[in-house]
Order: sequence, then C-alpha cells, then structure tokens
Amino acid sequence: MIAFPDLTTFSLEAVLTILGMAAVTYGMRLGGLLMADRLPQHGRWAHVLERLPGAVLISVWVPSALSAGAIGIAGAAATVITMALARNLFAAMAVGMVFVGVGRYFIGN
Amino acid sequence: MSRPGPAHIGHFDSDTIRRGAYACLPLLPSTIIFGAVLGVLAAQRGLSLGELLFMSLTVFAGSAQFVSVDLWRETVPAATIIIATAVINMRYILIGASLRPVFRGRPLWVKVCSMHMVADENWAVTMTQENLANPGFLLGGGIFLGVVWATGNTAGYLLGGGIPDPEVYALDFAFTAVFAALTIGMWKGKVDFLPWIAAAIGSIIGHYTLPGTWSILAGAGAGVAIAALTWRPDMDDSGLDGEFAVEGKNAYGAPEGTIIPEAQK
Repeated sequence: MIAFPDLTTFSLEAVLTILGMAAVTYGMRLGGLLMADRLPQHGRWAHVLERLPGAVLISVWVPSALSAGAIGIAGAAATVITMALARNLFAAMAVGMVFVGVGRYFIGN
Repeated sequence: MSRPGPAHIGHFDSDTIRRGAYACLPLLPSTIIFGAVLGVLAAQRGLSLGELLFMSLTVFAGSAQFVSVDLWRETVPAATIIIATAVINMRYILIGASLRPVFRGRPLWVKVCSMHMVADENWAVTMTQENLANPGFLLGGGIFLGVVWATGNTAGYLLGGGIPDPEVYALDFAFTAVFAALTIGMWKGKVDFLPWIAAAIGSIIGHYTLPGTWSILAGAGAGVAIAALTWRPDMDDSGLDGEFAVEGKNAYGAPEGTIIPEAQK
C-alpha cells in the first residue's frame, strides 16, 4: 500500500449499511431467544428445543468438513474420536488440525 | 437455606465472565488470523479501518462480514449486503432459541445486553457447560472473541498483507474442529441419536444442493423435524431440563423477570 491507511473516514452510506446489517443480525439473535421463551416449557416443543443446539452445531461443521475434502472429513472424524475418548477440547482440536495440516502438506487437498 | 441452583449465579459475575473468556482461548489463533484476513480484504475494498471496526463490533458475525466486505464497492450496494447478511445469519434465530436454558428466569434486560455478543463459537462452548444457566459465561466468551476479532482486523488492515495463509497451518480447519469436538459435549443421551443423524444428512444434502449457508438451515430443520416426530410423552424431564428438576417445576415456569428466591416458595 502506498497511501497511509485510511483510519477514520466514516461515509454516511457505509455507516447506514453497517447499521442495517447490525440490526438484522441482532434482531434475529434476540428474536430467536424471545420466541423460544414463548414456547412451552414441557412436552414436544421443549424436547425439540433441547435437540436444537446439537442439530445446529452438526449442520455448521459437517458441510465445512465436506468442503475441506477427504482430508477434512478424516480430520473431523479424528477430532470427534479424540474428544469422545479424551474429553479435552484442546487435545481434540490439536489432533484434528495437525491431521489436516500434515495431510495437506504431504498429500495436498 | 442454601439450595444449590442456577438462580444463585448473578447475571454477570466477573468470575463467570472470566471463565467464559478462558473457555474460548483455543479459538484465539484462528480468530485473529481470520480477523486479519478480513482486515486485508477490507483495505482492498475501500472500507476505512474505523468502518471495519464499527462493523466488527456492531455486526459481530464473521462469515456475514466476509461476504459483505467482498460485496463492498465504492457505491455501497446496501440492500444486497443487508439481505446477504440476513440470509447468512438466519441461523442465529435457532442459536438464540437454543439459548433459552441459559437465560431461564433472567430479566429482559439481561437478554437484551447479552444477545449481541453471541457468535457461533462462544455459543457452542457455552452450550456444553454443565450448568447452562449462566449468561455471564456466554458474555465473557463473546467479549473475548470480539476483542480478538477486532485486534486481528486492525493488524490485517495496517499490515495489508504478509498474513500467513490460514490453510497452511490448517487454521481454517480450527472452526470445523472446535464445533465437531463440542458436539460430543452436547450429547444428552440416545434421544439425540436420530435428530443428529437427520441433521447430518440434511446438511449434507443441503451442502450439495443449496447455495451458501442454507445447508445449516436444511440440517437444523431436518433435526428439528425428526426430534418433533420422535417425541413421546414419557421423554419429558429427560436430558437438560432434568438438571434443574431439584428446583421444582416452578423454576422453569418462572415468569419473565423473576428469579424465584427460595423464601417465596
């Protein structure tokens, strides 16, 4: 970069766009919680709500493991197995990342 | 009378905020590098550092920010960016809903103040805690990730390159790894089995057939549908809610804004 980085310019359209992004994001975060508060505390919907975090979490990482290719799928499996055996987040992450890093170095994607 | 229970933890105890921050420590390297990559991209797209940091602290959602900054032009396509942000962040409706046990019995202002700093990472770490009813823990992780994220943004923006490629050190895989590992901690028993299989299959099908992050919603939707279909009345009070059974049924039927003190019961 030649010019000194632009630190403090705030254009009106940028600020308004960012505020729009922030409003929809925060609205969904808080809205989800407040909607759940209105669901019954027992029975079918309480049961569904308890399964929700696991279902969301799985749906976040399974596609990203697929995107990382065969090495990503194997790395995710290694991470899950390590966590199930060692119950240690650091260890599980380390195993998965080393697996993927080494795999990419030697095999490529 | 000293009965242990979630209601005795303050809204935002400094001790729990600190523990929440420490719990997100494994995410520091990858968050700072991805923050820096976003900083480099923002400099190329013509955002000022101030605008970028303003975005990082008000929107606070990594994947939506990457897409938005990528769409950024001299004339900002505001509508496109806001719609893209809404679509990518739609999972936060589900994430917010799943946080109900964390805020059980807390007043509205605690929810209003906490829900901004909810990212996938501190949410996932919080949901695997033994005692869920602890908003300070969630907020602590969020503040930590926000500071790290903004620090990475600043470093990337000012250095304008020379950032290590995340793929070389598998840092891009760190997020996949942490979410995969935390899934194990969310296992509440065999009632989870079918919904989880459905979520995996739904997200895989979504991954190959739908654009962008719709696979998250496809997977979560499949999981929810199977959970609803496999529910039987005798499943009540299994799993998570069982932890609070000692509090009596009233504890989780607590009306908005009250933490039931034991003296009243």
